[in-house]
Amino acid sequence: MNKKIIGTFPMVVIVLVAVYGLAKWGIPAFSRQVTTLPFPLPVPGTLMFFYMTLTVIALFLMVTFSEDGLSDFLRPIKKLLAGGYGKVLRAIVLLAIPLVAGWQTYDMTVPRAQVPASLRIQHPSSNFPVAMEALSNPFEKPGEDQITEFIEQAKANEVSFIQQVQDDIDAWAEENDPDHVLEFFAVESTKKLLAEIDAGEVSQETAKAALHEKYLFEGRALYAMNCRPCHGDSVAGDGPMADGFKLRPINFTDNGTIETIVEGYTFWRVTNGGPGLPTEATPWDSAMPEWKLSLSEDERWKIILAEYNLAQKTPRIPEGH
Amino acid sequence: MKRMMNNLKVVLLGMLIACGLHAIAFAANVPSGPMPEATEEFVEKGRGIYFQRCSFCHGLLGDGEGPAAKYLDPRPRDFTLGTFKFRTTESGELPTDLDLFRTVSRGLSGTAMQSFDSDLIKNGLSELERWQVISYIKTFAAEFEDPELDPVATNKVISLPANRAPYDEETIARGKQVFERAKCWSCHGKLGRGDGNKEFRKDDWGFTIRIRNVTHPWKIKAGSEIEDIYMRFTSGISGTPMPSFVKSLNEEDRWDLANYIKSLQHKLTSHQALRVKLVDVELPEDPADAIWENAEPMDMRLAGQVVAPPRWQNPSIEMVTIQAVYNDKDIAFKLTWDDPFMDIVHDETQEFDPVELAKVGGFNSYVETIDMIPRKLETLRDSIALQFPVKAPSGTKKPHFYRGSSSEQVHLLVWKADQASVGERGTQEGNARGWKQPIKAQADDSQQVTGKAKWDQGRWTLVMKRPLTTDDRNDVQFKPGIFIPMSLNAWDGSNGEHGLIMSLSTWHYVFLETSTPVSVYINSLLAFLIVGGLGLWLMRKTIKGKQDEEAGA
Repeated sequence: MNKKIIGTFPMVVIVLVAVYGLAKWGIPAFSRQVTTLPFPLPVPGTLMFFYMTLTVIALFLMVTFSEDGLSDFLRPIKKLLAGGYGKVLRAIVLLAIPLVAGWQTYDMTVPRAQVPASLRIQHPSSNFPVAMEALSNPFEKPGEDQITEFIEQAKANEVSFIQQVQDDIDAWAEENDPDHVLEFFAVESTKKLLAEIDAGEVSQETAKAALHEKYLFEGRALYAMNCRPCHGDSVAGDGPMADGFKLRPINFTDNGTIETIVEGYTFWRVTNGGPGLPTEATPWDSAMPEWKLSLSEDERWKIILAEYNLAQKTPRIPEGH
Repeated sequence: MKRMMNNLKVVLLGMLIACGLHAIAFAANVPSGPMPEATEEFVEKGRGIYFQRCSFCHGLLGDGEGPAAKYLDPRPRDFTLGTFKFRTTESGELPTDLDLFRTVSRGLSGTAMQSFDSDLIKNGLSELERWQVISYIKTFAAEFEDPELDPVATNKVISLPANRAPYDEETIARGKQVFERAKCWSCHGKLGRGDGNKEFRKDDWGFTIRIRNVTHPWKIKAGSEIEDIYMRFTSGISGTPMPSFVKSLNEEDRWDLANYIKSLQHKLTSHQALRVKLVDVELPEDPADAIWENAEPMDMRLAGQVVAPPRWQNPSIEMVTIQAVYNDKDIAFKLTWDDPFMDIVHDETQEFDPVELAKVGGFNSYVETIDMIPRKLETLRDSIALQFPVKAPSGTKKPHFYRGSSSEQVHLLVWKADQASVGERGTQEGNARGWKQPIKAQADDSQQVTGKAKWDQGRWTLVMKRPLTTDDRNDVQFKPGIFIPMSLNAWDGSNGEHGLIMSLSTWHYVFLETSTPVSVYINSLLAFLIVGGLGLWLMRKTIKGKQDEEAGA
């Protein structure tokens, strides 16, 4: 018989421990290197069972392949049972194994209460009306007549704003006595528009950009008044009230939120809020209001315009049907 | 092999650099250098940022009157007065550029002023942009142009003490003595819950002040670390009754005091399910009963009610700690929450009619902090309600946490501070089907909840007790072994809260623990006996085999 470095029995034990250890700790540890995520990916219980069964079958085949192999494997067990390693060790082993079996049975059968899991579904859409998919924000690309009207208003210094920002603009105008009301806009396109008005010739392009800025300004104000308490002025879902909700408000700066959906979907979510969600998205846990009960359609679209702009994201383009 | 080693070196170097960058990112509220020179172009850039990010709260004029300002408490800072609360300069002085940089970078905890640090939030401002907007903010107050008022040039900047005693029991105990001696309790209360004053105080801008409850770290605006706390009573908080203690307390005392204040901060629990133990004694209605010392507490966070008009974003009650015990007949809940004033009267004529706020396309659906509701003492009552679904949920399905809906009814156990004091039932059972109708009290003969409340040192404790099961179809039934959804509504009367102007929590759970069934123990014992018997049998067989072998040989 060949002289072996290690007996069959210890080898079987080592292989079993090694495979178990690899599946339990090795693979999760390695997964962190591969995925670079801050948490390990554990091996699921069923897969773990599968690995161990395969290992046992392989070891069984190996051990029982020859008569010698089997007796080689059984020898230390028989020696232990016969008292060859001492009676104390035998008593310990014979007591420990049934204890482990009893404890395992207890562990598996004792009623353990698990808090019901609530999974968060991104962009639940089973009840999203298809017709809304192609909606586009009316303030993103204003029509020619809207632009022409804005130019007329700007030339006459009669630009009107939503009621919510009017007080602040009036206070500013009273203090500064400006030549033109749009002077408080500290952005290039509006400055350019004012220069062009002074020069007497206003280009459609400049007016369009300035009008977009006006809508953004109004949208940001509406966002600050309505959405900021939860979603935060950083639009990162970290408003002063965010900690009070189990489902945290969505972080719009996160890739995978508002940039992966079409504008029509964003509008639908803002319009119908938590109660408008399908059942699988646990509407009863969502604090998102049904904004159609408070905000006009124009207000909702302006907020969405500002929301994408603040998050520095663009919506997904609807696919043709 | 050599190439491998080289690759390894590159990887290690990369990891070192990554760690270094990480450290820099965390230190980002300290800029890499002083504020660049405020050229005209630099300030104009700042004006652009201010217009886009700051003006909606702080106003186009920097007067703290932007469109969102009326709905906020604390109000946005009025920059035109040059009075800044959070500084590292002596009492009454202007802030340093670094102070402004710190506030813009970190934000003010628990307020609408949030972090603008681009290392912390994706669309934040870079260091340069933060300096630009600060240079613009400084143009609002003429004081910043006066070199004689420059706190750096005139040596008015406070630094942290050179010797900072460690945070341990000894310094905390010394700090507690300083707290007594310096009479911090006269405003902040004996236990730091902001209940020292018997009435509201006003700040220099005429707005009502809420004295800080120092045990809630998430509300400590300019930072809850020991260094931040030290700075607050060293520099004082300009415009408020919070003075500087430089003259009355030495550096060491102030540092000890900061350690003590730190030790008062509450550590939130993080579990979502309240586990209730079975006891075999009569359940107490007294919140001070010894039984509560052994009941596991769960902190429930609350937010302002913003789901529907009238929306409210200045909730006073942001955390309620809940405990419960049950016996074979009843269940008793104990609720604990901080409230600096005991509001036990209710004047219905002071209630707010939200009809204007409930219109589509109206001005705003949020409640204004000053003009709409009375935020004063002896006007509106304190109140709290525990909410449960009437039907035990199937799967994850529950009623909406905001009072359910027309098809999903909720059951509420409501306590009202004024009613107990006028001899009425303090606790009441009620039902709701959505928020559009108020909670409907159940008929007198269905009322089975009893309770007792106590207010002491800025804290309410309340026990509500009810039979586990009832015959009423509109009642929640408490059965052991299942997770029953549970949430809260809370009202602080002197904060103007009543009706839907309140704070509320989303769904948590309550779970009545069951005793382990006998079958589990029997099965475990059986497993032990079978495996043990098998072992013994094998042993005997082996020994016998060996004996036979020896006899045969």
